[in-house]
This record gives sequence, C-alpha cells and structure tokens, in this order.
Amino acid sequence: MAEIKWPQQRRVIGTKVPRVDGPDKATGLARYGFDINRRGMLHAMILCSNVPHGRLKTVDVSAAEKHPGFRGIFHFKRQGQEVFYVGDEILAIAADTEEHCHDCLRLVRIEYEPLPFVVNEEAALKEPGKGTVPNPGQGNVRPSGQRSVGNVEDALGKADAVVEGTYSVPVQCHCCLEPHGMVAEWQGNNLTVWCSTQATTGIAGMLEAQFRNRVPDVKCRCITHYMGGGYGSKFIPGPTGIACSELAFMTKAPVKLFLDRFEEQISAGNRPSATATVKIAGTKDGKITAFQADIYGTPGGGAGAGAVDAYHQLVPYVYTSIPNIRTVNRTIRLNTGDRQAFRAPGHPQACFLTESAVDDLANKLSLDPLEVRRANLPTDLPNAFKRPIYEEQLKIVAEMCDWKKRWHPPGQGPSKGPLKHGLGLGLHTWGGGGRPNNDVRVAIKSDGSVLVQCSTQDLGTGERTVLAIVVAEVLGLNVKDVTSEIGESQFGRSTGSGGSTTCPGTAPAALIAAHRARDDLFAKLAPRLGVNKDDLKIDPEKPGKIVAGDKEWTWKEACARLGMDTVVGIGDHPGDQSLSSQGVGGVQVCECWVDTETGIVHLKNFWAVQDCGLVINKLACESQVAGGIIMGIHYAMFEERLMDDNTGRPLNADMEFYKLAGMKDIPEIHVHMMDMPERGVIGIGEPPTISTAAAIGNAICNALGVRVPRTPFSPMNVLAALAQKGGA
Amino acid sequence: MNSHEDKPRSGLSRRQFLKGTGLTAATALASTPLLESGPAQAAQNARAATPGFGPGPVKLELTVNGAKVTTEVEPRVTLLDALRNYVDVTGPKRVCDRGTCGACTVLLDGKPIYACTCLALEAMGRRIETAEALHAEGSLHAVPAAFVQFDAQQCGFCTPGFVMAIKAALDRNPKATPEELEAAVSGNICRCGTYQQMRDAIRSLCKKMAQHNGQPIQTLAAASLSAGCCHHGKEG
Repeated sequence: MAEIKWPQQRRVIGTKVPRVDGPDKATGLARYGFDINRRGMLHAMILCSNVPHGRLKTVDVSAAEKHPGFRGIFHFKRQGQEVFYVGDEILAIAADTEEHCHDCLRLVRIEYEPLPFVVNEEAALKEPGKGTVPNPGQGNVRPSGQRSVGNVEDALGKADAVVEGTYSVPVQCHCCLEPHGMVAEWQGNNLTVWCSTQATTGIAGMLEAQFRNRVPDVKCRCITHYMGGGYGSKFIPGPTGIACSELAFMTKAPVKLFLDRFEEQISAGNRPSATATVKIAGTKDGKITAFQADIYGTPGGGAGAGAVDAYHQLVPYVYTSIPNIRTVNRTIRLNTGDRQAFRAPGHPQACFLTESAVDDLANKLSLDPLEVRRANLPTDLPNAFKRPIYEEQLKIVAEMCDWKKRWHPPGQGPSKGPLKHGLGLGLHTWGGGGRPNNDVRVAIKSDGSVLVQCSTQDLGTGERTVLAIVVAEVLGLNVKDVTSEIGESQFGRSTGSGGSTTCPGTAPAALIAAHRARDDLFAKLAPRLGVNKDDLKIDPEKPGKIVAGDKEWTWKEACARLGMDTVVGIGDHPGDQSLSSQGVGGVQVCECWVDTETGIVHLKNFWAVQDCGLVINKLACESQVAGGIIMGIHYAMFEERLMDDNTGRPLNADMEFYKLAGMKDIPEIHVHMMDMPERGVIGIGEPPTISTAAAIGNAICNALGVRVPRTPFSPMNVLAALAQKGGA
Repeated sequence: MNSHEDKPRSGLSRRQFLKGTGLTAATALASTPLLESGPAQAAQNARAATPGFGPGPVKLELTVNGAKVTTEVEPRVTLLDALRNYVDVTGPKRVCDRGTCGACTVLLDGKPIYACTCLALEAMGRRIETAEALHAEGSLHAVPAAFVQFDAQQCGFCTPGFVMAIKAALDRNPKATPEELEAAVSGNICRCGTYQQMRDAIRSLCKKMAQHNGQPIQTLAAASLSAGCCHHGKEG
C-alpha cells in the first residue's frame, strides 16, 4: 500500500463543522457520568478530614452503620493514621439515598490528635525545616534543582540595564463543573464504570489491577460518552473511583459517587503556585544577556510535585537562547490538597514569571517590548525552528492589533479620567504531538452506513466530530453520513487525553482506518460492479459517489452490493511524524483600561495568533483558542485558592468566593489560526491558555507605568501595587 | 437595562424563598427532634403519620416539560436533586449546589430559577421546563441551535443552564438586545471558556428575532439536526 498522506485537496477537513453531539449537549440529553441512574443504585459520599494535620484518635462508625439507609463503608484511613490536609479522605459510605448518605456521614464520630501544620508558602519559608507533611524529615521547604549556563555575574556587570523583580501566581483550582466521580456496577466478574475521565482505557486497566487479586478474571469496561471538564485532573480512578468500585463490589449494587463542590475544590487537583525573584539584564539594542531566577512553588503535601520540580528548567521559557542563565528552585510542601496536571502544566507560571521580567527590562531600556521579543527569539536547537514561526506571528499580531498605533511607553497612553489605556503581549510554546496506541475502526455496511469507533474521550474539544470529519473526507461523504462512537474502553486502545495529543493521535489513525476501509470496500465491490478494483475511485469533485472511468454509482447503490458483508478498516497512529508533528508557538496581545481609583481592570480586546499544523475543524479549533484565552482570563483576573494560616482551612472552597469570569468580564477575542497543513496535525488544547496572564499583566503595566507583580489582578492587588510605587 | 428590573431574576424572590424554606424547616424541626434522637428513632418518626411535610418521604407530583411525574422524596430534597435523582431528568446539572453557577437553571412557571435553591415541594403544581424540552421530536429550538452553530459549548456541562437562561429572557422579551441577553446569563458560569462563541450565538439570535418581528421564538425554524451524532439515551 502506498504511504497514506493527508489529502492535498480538502473538501471537509479544515472547514467549520458544528460538533455532531452539539444538539444533545445543548439540550441536556447527553448523559454524563454524573447523570447515569441505574436500577437499585446506591449513593455514596466521602467523609474527609476537617483538620489540616492530625492523627485519627477515634473513627467510630457504629451509629452510622445502624442507620436504616446504610449499605456499606470503605475506609481510606484507620484509627492511628495521619491525615495531612483538610479534604484528606478518611472513609466513604454508601446508602440508599443521597439524603441518607448525608445522615450517615453526620453520625460518624471522628476525634483527631491535632498536629502542627503549614498551609501557605510564606509561612513555610519562615520555618523551612518544620516537616508537617509526609516524609517530615525533609522539612516543608525542599531544594528541587538548579541550573547554570554561561556566567551570569559577569553578564550582569557588563549589561546596559539590569532589572530585578518578584513575580507571583497563586494556586489555581481545576474547578471542573462535573466533579470527579463515577457510577460503578458489577455483574459477575465484569465491572462497568461510567466515569468522568480523560482516559477510558487507563481507568479500566487501573480498576482491573485494583481487583485482580480478588477477582482473577476481572474485566472492567469504562464508559465516558461525555465528561464535564477535566483539564488534566481526571486520568486516574483516584479516591473517588477506588471507593466507588469497592463499595459496589461489597454491596453488590450499582453505586454512584461524585464529589461535592467543597471536596472538588480542595482535593481534586490544582495548578501549583509559583513565585520568582528575577534579575534580568540586557543591552541597549534589546538583547537579553542574563537571566537569574530564585523560584519556589507548592504542589501540596502528597505524592508528585509535577511541574514545580522543573521550574528551574522551564524559565526563561521561550527565550532559550539567552547566553547566561542561573536558576534555583525550591518545592514547598504544605498541608493542602495535591496538585494535578492542569492545562499546560508549568507553562502559564513559567510564561508569567519570564514575560513579566522581559517586559520590565524592555521598559527600563525604553524599547518597544514587541521588538525586544523579536530580538530574543530562540536560535538554539531544538527550538530554532520556532523562530521563523514566531517572527511571522509577531508580524501578524502587530497588524491585527495595529501595535504601532496602539502601543505607547508605559504610563503615557491615553486616559479617560482615572482610566488608563494599556497594551501588552506574551509568547508561548507547547508540544502537542500525536502518539501511537490509538485504535480507530471504520465499518461500512450494505445500507451505506459508516461507523467510526475509538475508545478515546471528548473533553469538550469536539473529538467525536474530528473522527467523523476525517472519515467523511476520505470516503467522499458528508459529516452527517458518518456515525462517530467514542468513550468506551472496549473499542480498543487509546491514550489518555493529556498534552494536547488526542486530535494528533487519533486523526491520523482515523485517516489510515478510513483508507483501509475504502480499499477493502473497493476490493469487495470490484467483482460485483464488474470493474477492476484499481479503477474504483472516490473523486473529491463528486461527493457521495464511487466512480470507475466513466461509470459512477451513488454511495448507497454501491454499498448495497455488499450484501451480508461488512467492510472494516482499522488504523493506528503510525508512530512517526508523517501525519502529525509537535511544537507550536503562539503570541497573544491584550488591550485593557485600568481604573486607577478603583483598581478595576477592564479587558477590552484580545488578539491571538496560534499555529497548529493542519486544522481539522476550523470552528472547534478557533473555539479552543478563544476558550484557552478565557481560561487564562479566569486565571489572571480572578482565581486564587485562599488558605487560612490560623485554622489551616480553605477560605473559598466553593464557587461564590473562588471567582471565575462571567460573560461580562470577557473582552472581544480575535483569533488568527496559522494553518500549516504541511506539518500534519498538532494538538491545540493547551497552548492558547499559556500566555494570557502574562499578556494581561504586561498590558496593565503598560497602562499604569507600574508593575502589578502578582495575580489575580484584583482591585486589591492593583491598588496595592499603585500605593507601593506612590502612584495612587 | 432590562424591562424586568423591578422583578426578581428567579421565580422566587429572595424573601419568598427564605420564607418558604424557613417555614418548611421549622415544621420539620418542631415535629421531630431529628438532631437529638438516634437514626432508628428518626426513621420511626419518619414512618409515623406526621402531618404535613416529612421528615420522611412524602408524595411529590411534578409537571416537567408537560408530563406529570410522581415520586416520593423527603421534604429537604431540592428541586434539582428531585429531578436528577428521583425522576431521572438530568439536563439540569449539579455543580456548585449553592445558587452561584447557574448550571441547574430551569424555568418555573416560565421564570428562570436555580433548581438547587428551590425545594422540590415548592415546585408542586407549577410548570417546570428543562433544556430537554428544546430538543423534541427531531427539531431543535432556536436557542440551542445557535449554540451548536457557533460552537458555544465545549465540555457542555454548563450549557443547558445557559440555554435556559437565554430562552427565558427571550420568552420575556423577544426584542431583547445582545447586551440584555448577556446580562441574562451573568448568573451562569462556564469553565471551559465558551463566552466568545456564546456572544456570537447571542448576536445571531437577536438578529433572527428582529427579522421575525418579535414573534414567539418557538415559531422560528429549527436548525437541521446532525445525523452523525450517536444518541446516548437513558441508561438502566
């Protein structure tokens, strides 16, 4: 078979296709895991620690067990064990109704022996060796790495300008609207779970492992037809999945366990904080000669530290060619919930810390910050290929926003009374390559129906539609002629939806599967149509037809000849870079007005230029970019997990005081997709959320002539920065 | 500003709501000292013929999207939980459970309310409309159709709530401006970030409404449905 390539002439791919499951989702007919109700289903809830650190002196469940609605209990921790944060799981109870479940939890009596705790980074830094978390001997503040390139001291001494600043972003909660959880049901050795997850096959495998010693031939099927947001936090069964499937096993009944909002906010994941004291130096012509950063952040108290352990590698972010770099990094362990991967882990933090400093240097040198970016684009391998992409993007974005006209030196722009105008930018990068182990199956039947199946899941990106588009393109059909089924682990292998790899992993697999199905179709039809199979063609000029020389049949006519036969084509990502690739750049520009009396920031416009290789669905692609920016606006303007130093408790574990943007907070967003079809498909989920906070911060600084060094850019933080610089 | 400025946004005013729940709670507490007694006692009390409401399950009859459904719930059960857990209407989503995010928005006698802040018993004898009603008999209502056309949804968990809030605003004022519709969804939160696409959908809806001279929105031609969607119906 000839090597399969993306078609040069594209009829469906790259057009704007409304998502095929849109009507069901918009009208509530789509069933998410949380919406599944099974006959005889029990409800389960988790009882979590309400102290930040303590030893369980008493765990008395006798009264709960006597409640008439009580059905079963699962213990995470027993008497004598330690709990490490408010939200740490102690036990889960299943009952006949949710109401009775609440009653049962209230009847559990827990006594704690209180132990010392630390819940904020600043407090931890005062007593770095304290040790209130697992592995206490290592203290709360732990060195996590450093790196050194060139000679920073020397470069700082020779520079035309040196700027020092401390920049900071707080912990951000995932705040998935559908909380973590699942419905679990056993039938013999078969466990079916309807799980809100980013990895159907991963969940199935992990739950099988959980039960294999008790049920040797256990088979788990994970169903995720729809899921209400994960952003990186839903790859594993976690405490909810373990408790739910165990309770279903023990009660021999279907069990539903989804976290309540409080638990979702405190224990279901977060993006680590980051603070850096940066010294940056450059020459008069805008060349950055030195970058030094002392960084710390917190991933919580528990297992992995994720990106926090790599902050020293992640800065100075896209400016990898700065000749002299020195970074030192510390990971701060706190009595708070653990971090999870969160949309481009580590990148928004690294971008904010770096881009704020680069902007401050440009201001000190009295240079146009866009030109300073241009002067410092990467030239080192393997990043050098991004340089021409960024150059093009800077050109496009400058034209889109009329940079030359709108930009002004910091604090010297137009005013409307107390309102000051500002313009700022940021650059970002991401991988987004496809991976093998994504089985896509295409089946064609004699009624002309086409079914495409993959066990992958749709996080909201429009994955169902992606598969239908690719198959429709190859078979000369319309998207509505293809039925797309995803989100069931028994459909074959698929990789978890992380790292923006789903579309670049599955779209090539769908292309190959559709090609193979087409070849199989031609082989089966040729003798029945009385032609040579090599003469059969699908002509993009004649959609819905199969042609051979001057003969042609409609799709339905031709498929009818299949009779009892079904045509099947199976494909996987080829594992090379022929159909997908990785490595994207992006530039974002923010325009805002800042009220110097109230500290309120009004976002006015956002311009984004993003490359992503071959665009499969232009509508969903633009939607992803705008969505990434909006999530960046949530992050920059509103989000901050607040912990109380005195009680160790979270202060805003809800959606009232943990703020997210609403419709009225959103500026006009202008998206330009830099289509580069020759590169194949590249994922787009993560990149567009990265530089948003940096661009907003730089726009505010441009408006005020004063740096607001930490997010969220709330009135409080804006006014504090103005007051400190004597600007208000 | 909206013409309904003088009226509460939800079907119940804050005062009415507090009054309602206060009365219900007081009745329950007075009749059964639930907190002091053990669970067995509480259950016994629940079974006893307590006049009025609860604390045990009582008969609940709801009119949802034109259909009468009957079940039994404890009086403390919210309208949202009754819909989702007892009569299997899961379009309204439970997200914040505290009247903040709007994902549970339903129409009660035509007015948008947060179903998580309304007791199920308070909705008895009143008309409840959920997003499911907008996708009936193969045709799609103009509001969700605009959401689909402009891709104003990603994970989609907040979407039915936004759709109902806009539908209510247009029912109330078919000539609502885009600004007014944006104000109408200011009690709803989307995490994925679909506000820009929603704004596009809203603008297109307002244009369509203007072309139809403010006729009731139901008469607008529904968008053709995508046949490519596998319809995952009710489980179990």
